[in-house]
Amino acid sequence: MRLANIARLRLRSLFKRMRVEQELDEELRYHVARQTEENIAAGMSRKEARYAALRLLEGFEQNKEECRDMRGLNLVETAMQDLRYGIRSLRKNPGFAVAAVLVMALGIGANTAVFSVVNSVLLKPLAYRDSDRIVTLASAWKSGATERLVALPDFRDWHDQSTAFSAMGCYRSSEEPARANSETEYVRVARVSPEFFRVLAVEPAIGREFDAQEERSNDSAVALISYSYWQSHLGGNSSVLGTSVHIAGQPLLIVGVLPPRFHFPENSDIWRPLDSVDRTLPRTSFSFLAMARLKPNVSIEQARAQLASIAGRLENQYPDTNKNRGVAIAGMRDDMVSNVRLTLYLLLGAVCLVLLIACANVTTLLLAKATARTREIAIRAAVGAGRGRILRQLITESLLLAFIAGAVGLMVAWVIAKGLIELAPADVPRLAEAGIDGRVLLFTACISLVCSLIFGMIPAIHASRLDLSDALKQGGARAAGAGRSSRLREALVVVEIALSVMLLAGAGLLLKSFVALNNVALGFRPERVMLMKASYPASDRQGEERARRFFKQLLSDIAGVPGVSAAGATMGPPGHVESAGSYWTDHLPQRTRTNPEGTVDAVFSVATPGTFRALGIPLIRGRDFSDSDAAGAPLTAVINETLARKAFPGQDPIGRLLFAGFDSDKAMKIVGIVGDVRQWGPARRPDSEIYMPFEQHMAGAGTTLIVVVRTSGVPEALTDTLRRTVHDLAPDVPVKFTTMEASLSEEVAAPRFRTLLLGIFAGLSICLAVAGVYGVTAYIAGQRLNEIGLRVAMGATPSQVLRLILRRAVLLATVGMALGFAGSVAGARLITALLFEVASDDPVIYSAVAVLLGTVMLLASYLPARRASRLDPLVALRQE
Amino acid sequence: MSKPTDLVQGTLDLLILKVVALEPMHGWAVAQRIRQMSGDVLQVGQGALYPALHKLEQNGWISSEWAVSENNRRAKYYTLTKDGRKALQREAADWERLATAISLIVRAV
Repeated sequence: MRLANIARLRLRSLFKRMRVEQELDEELRYHVARQTEENIAAGMSRKEARYAALRLLEGFEQNKEECRDMRGLNLVETAMQDLRYGIRSLRKNPGFAVAAVLVMALGIGANTAVFSVVNSVLLKPLAYRDSDRIVTLASAWKSGATERLVALPDFRDWHDQSTAFSAMGCYRSSEEPARANSETEYVRVARVSPEFFRVLAVEPAIGREFDAQEERSNDSAVALISYSYWQSHLGGNSSVLGTSVHIAGQPLLIVGVLPPRFHFPENSDIWRPLDSVDRTLPRTSFSFLAMARLKPNVSIEQARAQLASIAGRLENQYPDTNKNRGVAIAGMRDDMVSNVRLTLYLLLGAVCLVLLIACANVTTLLLAKATARTREIAIRAAVGAGRGRILRQLITESLLLAFIAGAVGLMVAWVIAKGLIELAPADVPRLAEAGIDGRVLLFTACISLVCSLIFGMIPAIHASRLDLSDALKQGGARAAGAGRSSRLREALVVVEIALSVMLLAGAGLLLKSFVALNNVALGFRPERVMLMKASYPASDRQGEERARRFFKQLLSDIAGVPGVSAAGATMGPPGHVESAGSYWTDHLPQRTRTNPEGTVDAVFSVATPGTFRALGIPLIRGRDFSDSDAAGAPLTAVINETLARKAFPGQDPIGRLLFAGFDSDKAMKIVGIVGDVRQWGPARRPDSEIYMPFEQHMAGAGTTLIVVVRTSGVPEALTDTLRRTVHDLAPDVPVKFTTMEASLSEEVAAPRFRTLLLGIFAGLSICLAVAGVYGVTAYIAGQRLNEIGLRVAMGATPSQVLRLILRRAVLLATVGMALGFAGSVAGARLITALLFEVASDDPVIYSAVAVLLGTVMLLASYLPARRASRLDPLVALRQE
Repeated sequence: MSKPTDLVQGTLDLLILKVVALEPMHGWAVAQRIRQMSGDVLQVGQGALYPALHKLEQNGWISSEWAVSENNRRAKYYTLTKDGRKALQREAADWERLATAISLIVRAV
């Protein structure tokens, strides 16, 4: 009852505002009238009486305002009013409004864009049912080394002995030549174990999964295809079931089509059961990725404990192979994004600093505006606006500003996000899904709100603390509080400079890493090298023989193409390790055991004669492979310098015997030593490496090779000629071209992405900081105009005045940079993992940052200072 | 803007409630009545009177209606509500306690 009554009154205050106002007015008028009558009765004149009555009321308008407050004249009401004032005041100052909105929109937009990527890559759940139950399984050694790949026998034991999972699957995928209609092209084909689709909770949109018989029998010729492959290669025809797709010349019966957008793993378009070779791989062959679905009531810790005890049993059962080997288990999403997490958080942090700088800039703008508005605010206070009321009004204005900026920022974000996706390395998972969704909008709204609080609060509190009479007396920009305001601005500039230093130092460190990464001695010459992938279909010995002849003929044909200076072929170009494992010298041990630490002993490579010359890998001793190293001839090998140093210290390796666990355990005679190559990409030191001639190892190398062509001109110019050369020899061999430099560039795509973005953010921050320093110096000069005029009149030279102004600016810059360096040293430790051959406290980078920023800051303050020093004293003094 | 410095903080509400409890009356009459009843000792600053009246009304302790006043003009009359009566009893009791306590101390030698 009572509540309803109060609610009614409050609503009345809000909606019948005019009525309430009128009544208030009338009530107070009545009071004045009665008092006036009383006063007249007491003998005053009419005028005197009314004046006395009014005086008693102690300010008619103030009284009304206080009555309104007591009515709790609603927040909504004043908010609407403030909003109207806000819009009006922004429109009165379009320059200020545009500048502030643009600066903020840039900050908010950049944040929103980076967040939309973080959201899509790191935060959003995977697009599978109950995806948080999906985990990945990997091999882990007690030494701490982990290997994402698992051995199939291990996987089988985990699968059969565990109870924590409702499904467990493994898979491998590779690019293979596939033909659905007329043309053969490379398509990613996944080999999957039973339960693969059950782990992901995916069912075919059309047709069926593999049946138990197909999954168990060796080499069952069936396949599932992706929805998009069905649409693009088979016309989306519903009679697709029962037709076939050819892979490496073998026809596979299509039994089903998976739902749209399903391409796991990577960008697979075709799925088929494991083959007979897969099923017989030993415990030492790490070839598969594994994943599982946790049962609904099982935690990841319970599953981990169960797998650990299974791994323990395997250690006892198979000590030769499984000693010290365990299982690593992780949430699938976390596992997928583990490589990019640090980079993305770094970018988010950097872009956050940019936003803070933008906020500081807008705060100084608002502060200047508040100072200019001193008189307006004083008048509002004088006519009865309380301090809270003025505060609210100013905060409403900054909220308005922030939300306009947020809206513009969303557009900016859309553009930036597009750029981000464009620039990002190709292997960032789920990046393409990045976009603006509800969560991103919420994020934008939140940061806009936080920003408006940051940059609105300080000037608002400052302005509301005005001394009324002072402000009204002096008026204008030189009002009381100017001293306090300029101190505040200086503090803000110091903060801006400090944050800029941090961004610049971070960008500098990454840049130096990136340069180091690009200048690393790779061990070969990547320029003017074309890489051509080619696969010859072969499913039996005869096919293998045809493939051998094909590649031999192809290489000799290519060597004759004008513009080609050398040609060879290899299993994988430098930067892509296709195989690695243990080796033994002189004789094979009785019992072979794998490296218990899980580390690589040597990289296994297969190459044709001429490959070293084509890649520019120097031959140190001995000879290159030749045509005499043929299939029937005694096995030979070439080793790199690291292996020679490790396995044959102080001895001559040429002529010694070598055994490698690649495709046979026969002895190979070492015939040559070549220089080291960074096999794992520029960031990792070279490992030992064994090169084996292609013709002697076709069983292990297969019939897909990367043909390496060194050209005398631009490598791309030869693309068509090479394609024709292949086509003339074998029309159904698919080819795929890239250059060595492009392939390397992919290796450093992630560092390049980080460096570029941090560089952009740092540049942005410098621009903002320069604007801040310029503004503050100009302001200080303006404040001291009178003083400067006096000094000049008393005989001060322009250079003395210049020093006077600059001294302050230099002080600010110094303090800001000192703070910034302290922050950088602390912050840089977080990104140590992203640095390459650069310490996080690299003195060169820090000095460069100091010089660069110092110069820029000096320039930014020099201009307004010089203007002040050239002042005509008469003009300056007259201004007062 | 000024508060009644000659009144103990919070007692203005009590005085208004007490005066309005006698009969419905308008703001000016409330001020007059307080002055008369206190033997001209308590001059309610009118700047404080109206905000207090509006606050009490928002609290639901008094209600208002427009009526014709003794000099034939429209005036806003305030009446004590049921809630207001309870509040008055509470405030009056509080005041008694406070006044007794203060006089105990002041008289003690």
